[in-house]
Amino acid sequence: MDLDDALKTYIIESRELLEQMEDALLRIEQAQDDPEIINAIFRAAHTIKGSAGLFGLEYIVAFTHVAESVLDKVRGNALHIDPELVALLLESGDHIGTLVEHAAQGDEPDADSERHGAELIARLNTYLGHRDEQTAAKGGMPVEHAPQIEREGGHSVATDNWHISLRFGKDVLRNGMDPLSFVRYLGTLGRIIRIVTVVEAVPPISQLDAESCHLGFEISFQSDADKATIEGAFEFVRDDCLVHIMPPHSKVAEYLDLIRDLPEEEMKLGEMLVKCGTLTLDELKKALQKQADWQRPIGEVLLENNIVRPEVVAAALDKQKQVKDSKTVENNLIRVDAEKLDQLINLIGELTIASAGTALVAQRAGISELQEAASTLSRLVEEVRDTALTLRMVQIGGTFNRFQRVVRDVSKELGKDIELVISGAETELDKTVVEKIGDPLTHLVRNSMDHGIESAEVRLAGGKPAKGTLRLNAYHDSGSIVIEVGDDGGGLKKEKILQKAIEKGLVAPDANLSDKEIFNLIFEAGFSTADTVSNLSGRGVGMDVVRRNINALRGSIDIESEPGAGTTIRIRLPLTLAIIDGFLVGVGSSSFVIPLDLVVECIELSEEDKYAAEARNYLSLRGQVLPYMRLRDLFDVKGERVRRENVVVVQYGNARAGLVVDTLQGEFQTVIKPMGRIFSHVNGIGGSTILGSGEVALILDVPRLVQRVTTQVEKNGLELA
Amino acid sequence: MGALVKSETQAALTQAAGIRQYLTFALGSEMFAVGTLSVKEIIEYGQLTEVPMMPDFIRGVINLRGAVVPVIDLSARFGRRATEITRRTCIVIIEVPSGDEQQDIGVLVDAVSEVLEIPAGEIEPPPAFGTKIRTDFIHGMGKVDGKFVILLDVGKVLSVEEISTLASVASQGASGQ
Amino acid sequence: MAQHEKSKAATAHFAIEGEMTIYRAAELKDTIKPHIDHAGVIEIDLSKVSEIDSAGLQLLIAAKLEAMIRDKQLHFVGHSKPVLELLDLCDLGGFFGDQVVIFPLGTH
Repeated sequence: MDLDDALKTYIIESRELLEQMEDALLRIEQAQDDPEIINAIFRAAHTIKGSAGLFGLEYIVAFTHVAESVLDKVRGNALHIDPELVALLLESGDHIGTLVEHAAQGDEPDADSERHGAELIARLNTYLGHRDEQTAAKGGMPVEHAPQIEREGGHSVATDNWHISLRFGKDVLRNGMDPLSFVRYLGTLGRIIRIVTVVEAVPPISQLDAESCHLGFEISFQSDADKATIEGAFEFVRDDCLVHIMPPHSKVAEYLDLIRDLPEEEMKLGEMLVKCGTLTLDELKKALQKQADWQRPIGEVLLENNIVRPEVVAAALDKQKQVKDSKTVENNLIRVDAEKLDQLINLIGELTIASAGTALVAQRAGISELQEAASTLSRLVEEVRDTALTLRMVQIGGTFNRFQRVVRDVSKELGKDIELVISGAETELDKTVVEKIGDPLTHLVRNSMDHGIESAEVRLAGGKPAKGTLRLNAYHDSGSIVIEVGDDGGGLKKEKILQKAIEKGLVAPDANLSDKEIFNLIFEAGFSTADTVSNLSGRGVGMDVVRRNINALRGSIDIESEPGAGTTIRIRLPLTLAIIDGFLVGVGSSSFVIPLDLVVECIELSEEDKYAAEARNYLSLRGQVLPYMRLRDLFDVKGERVRRENVVVVQYGNARAGLVVDTLQGEFQTVIKPMGRIFSHVNGIGGSTILGSGEVALILDVPRLVQRVTTQVEKNGLELA
Repeated sequence: MGALVKSETQAALTQAAGIRQYLTFALGSEMFAVGTLSVKEIIEYGQLTEVPMMPDFIRGVINLRGAVVPVIDLSARFGRRATEITRRTCIVIIEVPSGDEQQDIGVLVDAVSEVLEIPAGEIEPPPAFGTKIRTDFIHGMGKVDGKFVILLDVGKVLSVEEISTLASVASQGASGQ
Repeated sequence: MAQHEKSKAATAHFAIEGEMTIYRAAELKDTIKPHIDHAGVIEIDLSKVSEIDSAGLQLLIAAKLEAMIRDKQLHFVGHSKPVLELLDLCDLGGFFGDQVVIFPLGTH
């Protein structure tokens, strides 16, 4: 791991910490008294600052320091947290984020962010100054003392002894000093109660450089000397040695800091402290438990360790990672470069195709053993594929949680009181889908808050609580993930939408539309107009862009709305964009793929059905009306119709439709290949795939086809009636 | 090279500045050429999958070592008859800029002839009129052995933007029936 | 190969004499290491050690570690007074796990 990698790790970690910080800030208003939340926020800032110092990112240190000081006051109960302060801290977090991105880019903050930073610092400083006056006025007590008394980890350890922790630097011996002479000298200042020699860093003799020093000591020390005198004992070795001197009755929390600062493993250190008699077993347990309440980021160890030189940082980070990985058995996660994962999935895609090709050849060869081997291979490849795909599955909760902030900010902007309720956060979907769903969701959420939820007066007048509710929900449904954005607002105004659509020439004035069709008009390009686009939901994107983005993900979008009760927008997306189980059908000389998840059944189209269907535009499936579409006609495929056609019954959401094809060629696994921008707006085709033969087959865009078929029938049905 | 090319105009500039090598090929009885820097490879015609509801000049897609690549019929793109497939029919794979990315597009030609070096001095600007194809498709007229070869501006001829719009229009039209 | 096998089971017994300090640390390392390489049971006599400092202590620790890792037995025997003093100062007797004969104070 070189320094560049270390910096990368720092940046990734900082982003995560900022996310945690934001999350905690958003929660704190509800949970004022929970010290853990404030501690989490403080630690995040503290860690970002500390590690930034190691990388010489002074601009991050300088700004974060001010924010941290304010947080420290809050932590010490010297400052009360209020919505205004939360807003300022959120903004400060954003600014730290901007600075971290600068570090990621390898440049310095520009004039704009410098100005913004200075402005934030000025505002943060008023909190620092303001509070001082208050305390001075109240008690006239020196300000410095207050936070110390109130410090967290309040109880101190029982022992009356000092604790001295020493880790000697490599060059101590070469510089003519003997670590043991310091220990001996200590003996003249008081009494060494217990000593533990730390041998963890000593290598076996075959790897030992006999002139380098690897020793350390944990010492419980009884003395009447003051701290300066004890410190004086180590004056000559200061630069070469890590010295921690803890006065008697130090706080448990401070020992925790010590444990964190030292290079050895926590448990081992804890044991040493107990062995020294510095901590009782009980105290250690408590301290470590506290520690376990939060996951320790790698950078934290480096904190305050400014003695560590940058070239050591990389090694330290590396080591820390190993220790952490091996230790957290119950939460055994490793960080994998997303690109590597994508590469793996791509390779597995190729493997899937190759395996299909092998099966094809085996079948042609007519050797039963070969066929068997090929089918075993296919089965294994399928398993590998499924496992690989789960690697990329992530919970949608992370995406949902980001909306806490959006909802908070936007409701302030709008002057509405809106609460966000999240459910189904644990629902998993492919990372590539998650990445692409953020923008459309943001737009829908803003739209619901802006247009959906009414002002408090209107709500109260309508007998609803003044506080509006926005719901984000997710669940799995037959091979798809469904994401709902719901509000308890006024619902869509059918008449208004219809009127506007007619004005815009989107529908004929005499068109007879179902409720659903009317609602769906808001997704039409050119529907959004100046008077519906506020600066919030406007941003130059309309609902048509949302629908286009969702369609590009092979998904669909649907609206349900009840006047006075609210609107729910339902997005249905495939679980993965990479690989699907496909059902191959033939039309003329072309082959098409239908995602197997969406196939309900296949039936033969009998002669009489054919004639009956043509007369009334739908098939009768066991007495049920089944709208259908002949792919040959839709795609204008050349050649004669075959005598025996087949119907593939597909279902998408609640709608079913029949797709009439020539031949059914069976199931196979297939990798979705992007078709490129040229085909991005092609109707009815959702992507492409490569068959075992090496030929390209097109994947049908079933959602779009079903939608077309059903609307056609609805219309025809209405005409008949 | 390719990575530096950000826009079509830039591509044209690069070409004007330094490229001297051109791949020539036949389309009917006429000779055309494209700068060799944008040519990735030349493959035999085979196993093409038609994409329904596309304009005539989009012949379909092929599998190029696992990637799906669209194939354009150049003759049809120039508003002439669709290319008839013969034994000598080739697909020239050309890399064109598309937004921030590069897109590979296959071009159907009757036959590939040779790579020529044409010095900048031997290239004349496209004539304002009198050509049978759109003048903005022409980068210049190269003089080879006293005869003219039409040097194509691939950024224009294979503009992903334009082709995608045409494809979209065609598909909307077809599905509106 | 055969010789190696044989020596593995063999016992090496040797003594360290004089000062075990930083000035001789490198030299002593080269003395101790081959013995651990070639023998299965190693006994190091420390009775003639006249002086020992941190570097010397570190050598003892490193030798013990090496033996532990390679699954060999290494004992220090006959600890001289300076060695004993030092082990006492560092509370390391337990680490080495050797039988320490405490000399009657008067013998010296």
